[in-house]
Amino acid sequence: MGGPILFGVRHLSPAAAYHLRRALDAAQPELVLVEGPSDLNDQMKWLCHPDTQFPAAIMAYTKEAPVRTILWPFSVYSPEAQAILWANEHKVECRFMDLPSSVFLGIKPWFAPVTEENETGEDDGPGGSAAKSSEEPPTTESVYRRLETLTGEDHDTFWERTFEQIEGGPDFQEANNTFGRQLRAATVDDQRRMAETIVREAHMKRVIQQAVDSGIPAEKIFCVCGSFHVAGLEENQPMTDEEEAALPRADCCATLMPYSYYRLSSRSGYGAGNKAPAYFELLWDALNRGGVGEAAYLYLTRLAAAHRKAGNLTSSAEVIEAVRLADTLAAMRGSKYPTLSDLRDASVTTMGHGSFSELALAAADTEIGKKIGFLPEGVARTSVQEDFYRQLKELRLEKFRTAELQRLDLDLREKLNVKSEQAALGDLRRSFFLHRLRVLGVHFANLLPSRQDGANWGEYWELRWTPEAEIEIVESALMGETIEGAAAFALKERADNSGSIAEAAAIFQDAFLCGMPAAASHALSVLQGLSVDSAAISEVAETASRLSLVVRYGDLRRFDPAPVIPLIKQLYLRSCLTLADACVCDAKAAPEVTRAMDQLNALQLGHDFLEESRWLDLLADISDRDDLNTRCSGFAMAILLERGKADEALLSREVARRLSPGVPADLGAGWFEGLAGKNRYALIARLSLWRQLDDYLSGLDDETFRRALVFLRRAFADFSPSEKNDIAENLGEIWGVNPQQAAEVLMNDITETEQAVLDSLDEFDFDDI
Amino acid sequence: MADKNVQRLPAEELYQTELDALISAETDIIPTGWRMSPRSVLTYLTGNVKVKGVDITPKYMGNRRLVEIAIATLVTDRALLLIGEPGTAKSWLSEHLTAAVNGDSTKVVQGTAGTTEEHIRYSWNYAMLIAKGPCPEAMVKSPVYRAMETGSIARVEEISRCASEVQDALISILSEKRLSVPELGLEVPAAKGFSVIATANTRDKGVNDMSAALKRRFNIVVLPTPSDMETELDIVRTRVAQLSNGLDLNARQPDEDTVEKVVTIFRELRGGATLDGKQKLKTTSGVLSTAEAISLLANSMALAGSFGDGRVSDGDLAAALQGAVVKDEENDKVTWKEYLENVMKKRGHEWLPLYRACRELNG
Repeated sequence: MGGPILFGVRHLSPAAAYHLRRALDAAQPELVLVEGPSDLNDQMKWLCHPDTQFPAAIMAYTKEAPVRTILWPFSVYSPEAQAILWANEHKVECRFMDLPSSVFLGIKPWFAPVTEENETGEDDGPGGSAAKSSEEPPTTESVYRRLETLTGEDHDTFWERTFEQIEGGPDFQEANNTFGRQLRAATVDDQRRMAETIVREAHMKRVIQQAVDSGIPAEKIFCVCGSFHVAGLEENQPMTDEEEAALPRADCCATLMPYSYYRLSSRSGYGAGNKAPAYFELLWDALNRGGVGEAAYLYLTRLAAAHRKAGNLTSSAEVIEAVRLADTLAAMRGSKYPTLSDLRDASVTTMGHGSFSELALAAADTEIGKKIGFLPEGVARTSVQEDFYRQLKELRLEKFRTAELQRLDLDLREKLNVKSEQAALGDLRRSFFLHRLRVLGVHFANLLPSRQDGANWGEYWELRWTPEAEIEIVESALMGETIEGAAAFALKERADNSGSIAEAAAIFQDAFLCGMPAAASHALSVLQGLSVDSAAISEVAETASRLSLVVRYGDLRRFDPAPVIPLIKQLYLRSCLTLADACVCDAKAAPEVTRAMDQLNALQLGHDFLEESRWLDLLADISDRDDLNTRCSGFAMAILLERGKADEALLSREVARRLSPGVPADLGAGWFEGLAGKNRYALIARLSLWRQLDDYLSGLDDETFRRALVFLRRAFADFSPSEKNDIAENLGEIWGVNPQQAAEVLMNDITETEQAVLDSLDEFDFDDI
Repeated sequence: MADKNVQRLPAEELYQTELDALISAETDIIPTGWRMSPRSVLTYLTGNVKVKGVDITPKYMGNRRLVEIAIATLVTDRALLLIGEPGTAKSWLSEHLTAAVNGDSTKVVQGTAGTTEEHIRYSWNYAMLIAKGPCPEAMVKSPVYRAMETGSIARVEEISRCASEVQDALISILSEKRLSVPELGLEVPAAKGFSVIATANTRDKGVNDMSAALKRRFNIVVLPTPSDMETELDIVRTRVAQLSNGLDLNARQPDEDTVEKVVTIFRELRGGATLDGKQKLKTTSGVLSTAEAISLLANSMALAGSFGDGRVSDGDLAAALQGAVVKDEENDKVTWKEYLENVMKKRGHEWLPLYRACRELNG
């Protein structure tokens, strides 16, 4: 044997991992070289730590924004991982030999198209150049395609049938190396890819050469690399010192992170993942137990168990039939043992009554699995990661670090029956923590809409840990050392860049929810500055009501509302002054204005420090004026009614005035729409109102009635069935018919002819409204 | 040998040359009771190859994997149940499977509301029974009985249309693989190679849903409607050509365009949306299966051959379409009309003659 032993593998292949260990036992090398970033050798010891649970990934990331990341995922059945573990067990030195991560991140911008640099970076598992083949249409891929059309099976199945089932170690190595060599010969990749491959192989060769130079006999060096690279390592020349120095480098850091099977399965490019990680682990188990043949039994019994757990009946007889059918299917395809596709088809036929959907849940569980990795404490992590895990533990949120979606309901009120203050406010601190993560864009917790009406102490979250969340945490390391620090930085940056008061108010609210007074006051000052400039009424009202929330519920979150009050006053005054003008608007803008009116009303009601008389006078004015959008006037009237500031006589007078025959139909009906926008019970209770409306409508001629219909239909559209029922009763009273009959007519679905008439209204020409 | 005047020859006679070629070219192991290896059966069904100079025509177009599963099921001596919408080639597949495996596709029990247990087991020739008493000569064996004796495959069509006691008669046969004749003190064991292929219709599910006990004895394969336009076009084209040869229709093959139009209309009405997915449509009460599309085209060829100039005209097609689409006067008529006005009319000049012809008929 002249040169080093080159063991070509397929990344994430159980058979490769299994045979690799045997080959290592046989070769007893002095040095094991593994395809992986050569500057990150020190991460290996953590992979070998007894508490480490796979899947885990090495992640390198650039130090400046925009953060670019690159991942090397390892599963327990990764040949690379097994090579590292073997070396550790046998006290043999082990090193990575691929380009350093800094170079990978440095050359990425050149090699990858700019638009998807992050994506490609992540996709590039230890597989290197071949790994990306599923993304773009390169020629390696076209060979795979060709194989698929020839065999009639997808590439994973082809691989499983052809290579995973090889039982002899040397046979496997030979088959795999041959496949790599022929794949290489059959493909001519584009220049960019070829260049990258050559640079990487030259570097690997250089590492091998260095080892030889340091005195290790070449035949005692064992190299684990993608089988695609075997030929390259045999032929290419090592990289020279000058070439090595000329490589571009990015300033970067690396960390180890837990990974998940779910993510491995969703990244199915060669090397970066595989579609069925849990099944592959099962293959790995089977190999170590007694042979690939075991896998069929393991898979089918697990699938049946999962299917039963999901509440279905599955008999052992069905499992037995599935085994027999899978074996026959495999035989028809000419393989000794069934592959995943055989097993799945067999179980669908026998257990699933012919349809995959019945088994989908159990199959996902058995093939993909919910497994996530775990790393022992003390692993080289970024300080933000440390902080995240420390707080997770402190706040007793660790049980939510699973791949499953879990609910968490928080009660923010102080608990009076516990001893320490820490425990009393436990849920509040959890809420702060989760909100901070949300602000950082870490997708670990998702806030659900509140189910509480009129109270605000409940918060409902959905939590799920994903490797993406971990990556997002690492990315936030650029912004600060701790979660809180990073969140403060993020909030400050957002506040400084905000251009409208609504935006600034949202940031203020976020800071408030995160329990960070300093960030909140910064956002507030930005808000103050912006509020000097004129803004639309809707925006001002929205802002004021957000701030109002803080004043009303600030206590719950231990927040001092004092600095907010002057600003609310200021915004309130501003809105009162501009509201009347805003009411001069077209039908399209009116809903926005009425919404603002509603918010302002709630604002005024909620705070004593806001002058009531100013608001009421303004409403009376708007309700009274004829030159404003009638819908706004109607809505003002509705608010006055609700607050008991308008009496029966006034209402009746207004109705008569607004709905008099001379007034154009759309104005009258628009006013009614505004009036019906609020406090409907008060309207329904007043029979006189309906009488007036009835009189008005009967007085209209056909053409004006059609016009009025458009508005009225909209006004009544969101009335609830019971409200409609009440109206029906009123109408029954007026018309002297049985209320039930009236209700029946009102509640019926519209017929097709009616629909046609209504459709024609959509194209109604409103002239100059 | 094959009698030319028979309206419809069984598959094994129609495709005898293909079967013979496959048998003579056999290299794989042949299961007991079979005439060829599972792989050859697969070749016979999926076709598109030349074996010993004989072109093997494709019998089942669509998911090859489903055919594999069906054949593998028969190898494991399990019974096979083919489920699908009407017109998804269930009976067609079952006929060809038996033709290839046994060279005999005629052991059929047709499931109807009138099917009795005797049709599954055996009955008696009463004249002889009275004359001689119970004896083997007086027994009338059912197709299932004969299949058990010879170790071949019996077919049960439309099993979900049978009453449940008839279905239950199958259970003991499938699990014990024996049939007892108490009158004669006989226990008939099934010879190796015996199996049953049953078909059931998803639309008839409610009629006599199969019991769990019976279902458990079957491996179930669901046959889908053709997944894409191309496959369906292929199926229709091939089958129409085969049919017109067999039926002496005296008409030219409908051109590519016509087939495409029919398949388009069928797929759209079946799927409840236009092919581009932009417009939702009402569906009809009928299934509008691929089989119907085939018979529709054959039907219009017959019209053209007998009363026209031998070319399928738009008028012939419109008449056939009307009959196929409008099954239930009230609703389907509205659906069809809406389709004509909203979709077909707007399709441009190529569709215009067909649209006019359809409209005329639909008043």
